This record gives sequence, structure tokens and C-alpha cells, in this order.
Amino acid sequence: MATLQLLRGAEMLKQGAEGRVYRAEFLGKPAVIKQRFPKRYRHPELDEKLTHRRTMQEVRSIARCRRAGISTPVVYFVDYSCSCIFLEEIVDSQTVRDFIASARRSSSRSDQELQRLAELTGRILAKMHDEDVIHGDLTTSNMLLRRSADSSELELVLIDFGLSYISALAEDKGVDLYVLEKAFLSTHPNTEPLFQQLLGSYSASSKKSSAVIKKLEEVRLRGRKRSMVG
Amino acid sequence: MHFTQKLELFPEQHVTQMLFKDVNNAAELRQDAVEGNIHAALINPTMLLSPFQALLAANKAIHSQSIGKMKTRSLNSEIIFNLSPTNNISEAFKRFGISHQDRSLLVVVVHSRDDSEVLSHIAIRVDGQEVPVEEFSSFSDPAKIRKLYKVSPQEESGGLLDAVVCRMATKDVM
Ligand SMILES: Nc1ncnc2c1ncn2[C@@H]1O[C@H](COP(=O)(O)OP(=O)(O)OP(=O)(O)O)[C@@H](O)[C@H]1O
Ligand SMILES: [Mg+2]
Repeated sequence: MATLQLLRGAEMLKQGAEGRVYRAEFLGKPAVIKQRFPKRYRHPELDEKLTHRRTMQEVRSIARCRRAGISTPVVYFVDYSCSCIFLEEIVDSQTVRDFIASARRSSSRSDQELQRLAELTGRILAKMHDEDVIHGDLTTSNMLLRRSADSSELELVLIDFGLSYISALAEDKGVDLYVLEKAFLSTHPNTEPLFQQLLGSYSASSKKSSAVIKKLEEVRLRGRKRSMVG
Repeated sequence: MHFTQKLELFPEQHVTQMLFKDVNNAAELRQDAVEGNIHAALINPTMLLSPFQALLAANKAIHSQSIGKMKTRSLNSEIIFNLSPTNNISEAFKRFGISHQDRSLLVVVVHSRDDSEVLSHIAIRVDGQEVPVEEFSSFSDPAKIRKLYKVSPQEESGGLLDAVVCRMATKDVM
């Protein structure tokens, strides 16, 4: 198969349990190729169907976000026969994770920048949820930052919609934020005020935020109870 | 003047684009294309922003052909179909294919390695003036493109070409 042949000569960025991420030139442009493979333990035919459906959902969520003006990598081409998505490479970017880590290591100037980042992130997640897109795997590694070409403004690019789905339920949005909160605070210890700022910005931007934040609080409580029991 | 790109996924295949202005025989060329007497996709360049769109459309057409999943009868019509934001085939031809009175023309040829003969054979049939593909944008009609792809201002903030390209690539799941 043509795509798999191309991947053999491509640079691998990441090897995961359910897929690989490669970098390669595609039609003269720098591209990232995400390959998803079936989990072995399931029924092979069912496997293929599920893998196919996941790939479709990933593509659909990206398209939906872009239509709403949320920055995500452009989809160039999808090879459904091997569940490979060809995406625009976000060049000269870094993950939010690396950005926060290095900003916290350096001087006071970055404090302001971190606050701007939290504000921006809250605003964009609110927009995404207002489109009923649930990301499903919000972490600071699944967000990229780049400086936009025309200014020094930071641009946040959401990536990795591999677990995304469409839902209007406040509960699903609350869980989405809870997943981020857990990841955020464990990756970046002692950043509670920064995360609060993110949530504050989310609340101010989303039309339906109060129900979502209420659900987030419920989920937190459940999480705490569970950890006390277990 | 031609713009030729090798396809990473199909190393045996090349895509060459030729751009013409002051075309006098659009009706005749269109007839030839309909009858399958010209081995190229004849495209109205006002509906495109960049040669990249034609490349994507050609790449996807060859892919669909290779897995036996073309939506149209030929590779060249599949290229035109892939440019369109919808799955309506006749609509795609109307918007992106050459029409009788067109004065400008984009010719897209899928060919193997050194096929200069095939290319000049096709080029010679166009009664018009070839211009460098770099002049692509002077033919584009962004207002019409924006309307056809239904690109909202918020989506366009990320760039019109990106919006169009993403819609081309994702139309089968939306
Ligand atoms: N479009 C892109 N442009 C630049 N880098 C990218 C792009 N997509 C992915 N990456 C890089 O590859 C990494 C993994 O990509 P992604 O998160 O989409 O894959 P994944 O296998 O689902 O990852 P994970 O299992 O960690 O969630 C990202 O953290 C990022 O560094
Ligand atoms: Mg990831």
C-alpha cells in the first residue's frame, strides 16, 4: 500500500499503543501523518470498523473546530484504508507543556505570559465546547503554541482529536475539563492559581459555562470519594 | 512554465499543471474532454486559489482509483470532483470544469516520469497563451470561492486556502 510504503521511509515522532505519528513531506509541504492501528485483542472485523470510525471522528472534529475558527492542523488527505490522517505540520511550535515548563524556570516576565496563555486556553476550550466538540484527551501535550506570523501574539493550536466526540451534555464537557485539570496539575505542580485563571476565562467566554463548571465540581467530588475508598 | 510535482505516495506518477489565458477554443476543448479525447482535467482556474488544491485533488483521485473507489468514471473527472466541497458530481463539473465561454484554463495532467511528448500534445491543442503557474492567484476569484465553500469570516481568519483545502479533504465525513 502506498501510504504504508511512505511511512516506512518517514521519520517517526511517536510510537503509541494505538498508533504512530510520523513526519514527512507531502505534496511539497511539511506534514504529520497519524496512523492508527487496530487493537489486537478484539474481533478483527469489528476492530477494523472501530478503527475506521475513530479515524472518521477525528477528522470530523478537526473540521468542525476549524469551521468555528478554532486553530487545528489542516487535514490534507485521509487514507481510510489504513487509517492514516495527513495533517499540516505546525512548524516552529512547542507544546504548551514545554512552554509552561520553561516559562516557570525563567524570570518574572514569563508570569504575565503564563497568565495570557491560561486566559487564551480557557477562551478556546469554551469555544470548542460551544461547538459541542468534546476533545477527550485534553493535556498540555495536546496543545501547541506558535507565534502568529503577523504579530508576536501567541496562537494556540489544538491537536490530537483521536478520542474526541460530539456531545451537547454539560456532563461530558465537565469531564473534559476534569481530565485537563488532572493532567495539568500533575504535569505542572503548584499551578492551581494558573488553572483557576483558565477556568475563569472559560466561564467568562462560554454561553453555557455555569452548568459545565457545576458538573466539573461534581466530578471532582466523585473523584475524591473514589480515591478515598480505593 | 509548467509546474510538475512528483507524488510521494505514488512515485511513478507525476502531476503537471499548465495555466492558460486568452483561450479561444474552450467549447471545443470541453467537447473533447466530455468525449474522453483529451487525457487531462480541464479546470476553470477562477475557482482555485493555489496549485496545491489541484495537487491534492489529483493525489486523492489516484488513491481512489488504486483502491477501486472512484466516485466518477475517469481519473480526470475524479480530479474535478475532488475539488468540489460537495458530493454532487454534476455540480462539481459545473463549478470546476471548463465551460464554453471560459477565457482562462488550468490543465492538470497525470503522467509517468518523462512524458514531455504527452504534455506538448495536450498544450498544443489549447488556442491560448500559456502563463507561468506562479500567476495562479491573478485568476482566482476569492469572493466566489468563499461563497461556494461557505467559508465564514471566523474560519477565514485561519486563511482561505487552508479552509478550502480542509473542506476538500473532509467532505466525505461532514
Ligand atoms: N500537526 C502537528 N504539527 C506538529 N507536531 C505535531 C502535530 N501533530 C502531532 N504533533 C507532535 O506529535 C505528538 C503526538 O501527536 P498526537 O498527540 O496527535 O498523537 P497521539 O499518538 O494521539 O499522542 P498521545 O498518545 O500522546 O495522546 C504531539 O505531542 C506533537 O508533539
Ligand atoms: Mg497526544
